[in-house]
Amino acid sequence: MTGMTGNRAGEIKGWRMRRFESPWINPKLFWGAGLLLAVVALGIIGRVFWNLDLAFTGAAPLKLPPVGFENLRGQEGAWHHPIGTDGSGRDMLALIVIGAPNSLFVGLLASLIGMSLGIFLGFSAGFIGGRTDDIIRVLSDVMITIPPLLILVVVQSAWGDVSLTMMALLIAGFVWQSPTRLIRAQVLSMKQSGYVQMARLSGASTMHIMFREMLPNLVPYLFGSFIANVTTSIVTAVGLEVLGLGPQRIPTLGRTIYEAINAGALIQNLWWWWGIPTLLLGLMFIGLLLVNLGLDEVSNPRLRKL
Amino acid sequence: MNALNVTDLSIDFPTARGVVHALADLSFSVARGRRLGIIGESGSGKTTTALAVMRMLASPGFVSGGSIRLADLDVLALSEEEMRRARLRRVSYIPQGAMNSLNPVMRVTDQLKDAIVAHEGRTEREVLRTRIEDAFAGVGLPGHVGSLYPHELSGGMKQRVCIALGVILNPELIIADEPTSALDVVTQRQVMQTLKDVQQRIGAALILIGHDMGLMAQSVDELVVLKDGILVEHGDMRRVIENPRHPYTRELVASVPLVGGESFLGSASVAPDFAPGRQGLPLLEFESVHKDYGEITALHPMSFSLHGDAPKIISIVGQSGSGKSTMASIMLGFNPPTTGRVLFEGQDIARMSPQQSREFRKNVQAVFQDPYACFNPFYRVDHALSFPFRRFGYATSDAQVQESMHQACQAVGLDPALILRRYPHELSGGQRQRLIVARALMLNPKLLVADEPVSMVDASLRATILKNIYDLKDSHGISIFYITHDLATAYHVSDYVMVLYKGQVVEAGPPREVIGDPQHPYTQLLIASIPWPDPDREWGGTTTAAEDIAALDAMDRDVPTVFRGDVSGFRLDVGE
Repeated sequence: MTGMTGNRAGEIKGWRMRRFESPWINPKLFWGAGLLLAVVALGIIGRVFWNLDLAFTGAAPLKLPPVGFENLRGQEGAWHHPIGTDGSGRDMLALIVIGAPNSLFVGLLASLIGMSLGIFLGFSAGFIGGRTDDIIRVLSDVMITIPPLLILVVVQSAWGDVSLTMMALLIAGFVWQSPTRLIRAQVLSMKQSGYVQMARLSGASTMHIMFREMLPNLVPYLFGSFIANVTTSIVTAVGLEVLGLGPQRIPTLGRTIYEAINAGALIQNLWWWWGIPTLLLGLMFIGLLLVNLGLDEVSNPRLRKL
Repeated sequence: MNALNVTDLSIDFPTARGVVHALADLSFSVARGRRLGIIGESGSGKTTTALAVMRMLASPGFVSGGSIRLADLDVLALSEEEMRRARLRRVSYIPQGAMNSLNPVMRVTDQLKDAIVAHEGRTEREVLRTRIEDAFAGVGLPGHVGSLYPHELSGGMKQRVCIALGVILNPELIIADEPTSALDVVTQRQVMQTLKDVQQRIGAALILIGHDMGLMAQSVDELVVLKDGILVEHGDMRRVIENPRHPYTRELVASVPLVGGESFLGSASVAPDFAPGRQGLPLLEFESVHKDYGEITALHPMSFSLHGDAPKIISIVGQSGSGKSTMASIMLGFNPPTTGRVLFEGQDIARMSPQQSREFRKNVQAVFQDPYACFNPFYRVDHALSFPFRRFGYATSDAQVQESMHQACQAVGLDPALILRRYPHELSGGQRQRLIVARALMLNPKLLVADEPVSMVDASLRATILKNIYDLKDSHGISIFYITHDLATAYHVSDYVMVLYKGQVVEAGPPREVIGDPQHPYTQLLIASIPWPDPDREWGGTTTAAEDIAALDAMDRDVPTVFRGDVSGFRLDVGE
């Protein structure tokens, strides 16, 4: 119960007010999106300015450290390979330029497919109800209890080599449940709401009610759910890759870590080999987390501090 | 000594559009044993005042000036811990919808026990038991209620448990914030009687917050009238009601519709100019319609037919749970009847071709209770008006749509330039509800179902909105089903009234007979339980509210429907 007095308080208030007015101008969203865009930019700019052939085995000297460091053999880092090379003579920078966008791509694709499936099933369950609802509900409830990594490990080891898209499709099969449940619950409550009844009175078709009246109001939830799903999908993909079950011929961040561990990079103190991909993954997750928190503030005004 | 002194209290809420002064320089005091009413519309600062006294103001609101003293205690200077000890022991608060503030997973006894132990430390079990029993007895609840969970109690019982909780530590001041707003009139009378009795017994001061002038007239000694955070009138209740000085108070007192009083509608000047329906066929017809929800019968078999040739307003009155909203959703085709048929111009609405269905939708429109929910928050408000207009093929050009929207807005007293193109959250409840009426006007249906159209709108606006709806009948020839729990407004607007009780029509006929001179015991009870804004008029009959409720429970379900006369164009039958 203290009054805000003085100029300083006024200034702070003024700044907070502006933030209150436009929720999209939000430092969390800004930094999060910035980090993710930086990863994408790394992929694009790298492809233009760096020789990607260096990602092939034996393209460079083995186990070179980044510039300014020395490896156990006393070799110094060189500008030809600014962040070092791995145990089979591949340039780390080239690996990352190719690998980082790949990880993001798997996450986005899996999440996009999962969300579409979730929107379709959620609307069907909520709108049609009855037997359809029962089947979809039981199916998603059962699926939610199955750990995806367990199934994917089995499937992928039986499959052998998979492509990135195939892996995204497989992961998408495990990220549709939570959007389905979320949308079903929202649709059920919205079906009773005054404006949907008004729309029915206005002679609106079912399609109109679903996509023009309900869906726009679901957008904040969908955004949040989408970002959360991207995170889950990347974690799952990296998990599989680190186990050596991802795509064999395409460099990904997870596969680089797998090879580093396999080659004993930890013992040989080749920290750049596993450390740089890990750092990049960390940045991606922090970016996604910040975007998610930022979107939360956009869709839930109560979280905005005044 | 005064139990509460509030001096020059100001409360500010900083928001995006600058600081809102929720309360400005409010001063009043209330002595022990006295009852003070605070009346005003939503947003006038009533609840904010109460929360400030409790030091429970929601952020970002803060007290920007003035003082609050509870007897010798300076409330604003207390530490959080001292304030915690003062709450309930010195001042208790019965919040709005107190029935939802009981913990659903605790027996009610334990909730009372918690209150005592939290303030007085460990207490012997025997002492606790007798005190809680006394508290229950004090609010007229049987002892076994204590071992029940909140969901096992009725609304009125829960409200009385909350009162027991509020007075168990004998506070000097009780603040009751619209304690009966969610209850029907019969229970409202019982709860208010309980509250007054308890308050008198423990000699506490009572602050009653509300918007119902009638309830105030029957309950308080002194009245404070708030408008936009400013005290506009303060004085003895009788003086304020009989001789209001401020124009706003005058408006508040005058806006309460009275049974038998002067009509708030004015005289209808426009000559009826109606479009006759298809010759010979009734506009809407119920054929032994009956609705069950599982075991429970929501609506007992009834039949009626309404001819639209001469527009009528048919009121359906009853308490919550009487089946009146079920009737509305059956009429609109949202909810199929268990047995029986609903016919629109001779066509069963459950078996319509898409073409007929469109015709039905076009001609049967509705106004719902909640003006907040009726607009899709994603769209600007004109979407709600223009979408059905285009959908039903009335639109010829964009300019014509705009033109019709402007006309409809003006017809319900809204300025189209200020209202259209805005988002629903930018409008007040009253504005939204008038827009919904404007929507109905634009579509020009043959029948309008108005389900509690004014129950969530501030009192001063109710008369205006009802007048808007009433005008639809006269100037546009629209027949209306007016569904309400408010007998006084039904008395004025309707041509025919049916009173529903537990899904059964108990009394029906022209309003002058049914409401002016009720014959069925249930109708009589309902009318006797209305609190009148007249201090000289006794609230309720000679019986106490508790006796009334007992009589209601014992009421023979087989008392036949009392028919009190007919109007042309509407015929009602009950039974198979």
